[in-house]
Amino acid sequence: MTTNIQAYLLELEDIPGTRVYTTKRARAGYWLNQFAMSLMKEENRKRWLADEKTYLEDWPMTDAQKQALLARDYNRLLDLGGNIYYLAKVFSTDGLSFLQAVSTMTGMSVEDYQNMMIAGGRSPDGVRSKKEGN
Amino acid sequence: MARITAGVATSHVPAIGAAMDLGKTQEEYWKPVFKGYEWTRNWILEPENRPDVVILVFNDHATAFDMNLIPTFAIGCADEFKPADEGWGPRKVPIVKNDADFAWHIAQSCILDEFDMTIVNKMDVDHGLTVPLSLMFNQPQAWPCKVIPLAVNVVTYPPPTGNRCYNLGKAIRRAVESYPEDLNVQVWGTGGMSHQLQGPRAGLINAEWDQRFLDDLSADAERLKNIPHIEYLRETGSEGIEMVMWLVMRGALGDNAAELHRHYHVPASNSAVGHIVLKCNS
Repeated sequence: MTTNIQAYLLELEDIPGTRVYTTKRARAGYWLNQFAMSLMKEENRKRWLADEKTYLEDWPMTDAQKQALLARDYNRLLDLGGNIYYLAKVFSTDGLSFLQAVSTMTGMSVEDYQNMMIAGGRSPDGVRSKKEGN
Repeated sequence: MARITAGVATSHVPAIGAAMDLGKTQEEYWKPVFKGYEWTRNWILEPENRPDVVILVFNDHATAFDMNLIPTFAIGCADEFKPADEGWGPRKVPIVKNDADFAWHIAQSCILDEFDMTIVNKMDVDHGLTVPLSLMFNQPQAWPCKVIPLAVNVVTYPPPTGNRCYNLGKAIRRAVESYPEDLNVQVWGTGGMSHQLQGPRAGLINAEWDQRFLDDLSADAERLKNIPHIEYLRETGSEGIEMVMWLVMRGALGDNAAELHRHYHVPASNSAVGHIVLKCNS
């Protein structure tokens, strides 16, 4: 089975409110994500929390990536090549759960987001495709 | 000869592991999640069901593998694997013991069968592997069986297709059936079901789609193996793609499988929890 890769990649960009972690994003976010991996060590977590700006000096990221990290702007970080499982090291170091951190990307309060999940989650209706509007 | 007797699939939500580790399983929020595993916890320890070896298909969540190395299919061949420190210190669960001779046999057999497996020795295992063990076996001092970890890349696109995963399952079956030791082997598929952990669309759940997927694991596996990535993404959220790992399990069961038990609950954290036990019918 062969796949038309251009068509495949175009479809991945057609989903509302979603950044699929494509090779293009992975390449742009390489150092951002490798920085995040460094926070899996306790000594690095301590150093990061003590002085975030100085810690970032060791990592060849873009200024935009560094600003988004300092602001904990997770949607922006996804745009700049971050992947959620890597960014999880950042919010875990902040003491946030997946649910708490994920809710910040939705424009909802943690409480409203949690209640939405308990009520069955977000329906796929209306958010399947930008093109189809369904 | 070694033989595959059953397949198990389950979500591997990290918060489920945390709920067990922190003694929260009797809280109202968590009770219905764990209730659906009681059947399996009894079934799996019956002498005729109890596996000698579990081939556990999971994905690493930026733990053992970072952006430096992204194997599509990796099989753990060392004698043991330690629970990983994912940012809060390692889970206090037993070390995972492998049947390394058998793992190496499967690696060799799959490679000769044209599945180019990556062989891994040093690999700390994260919630993707340890949460399913906790769900099936609760909190023992040592895991009651050997575990062969099989990691699938579902993080960096493109992950393997559903069809490729299904066919890897078939290759694993041939590998198991060519191993001379008398072993009861189960294959577990983990991850899913619908969930999205990123962006403004986070929190997506599609119970109807998930239930059809559970139905067709026994009724129509041919349909499932042909589901394209874009359908998982649109219908089940960006992390719903983990369900391709269930198809490795399903492929390993042969043409026919019968459903023994099913559990579905929303939510655990951001995810729909799905669980199924299938028996080989051939």
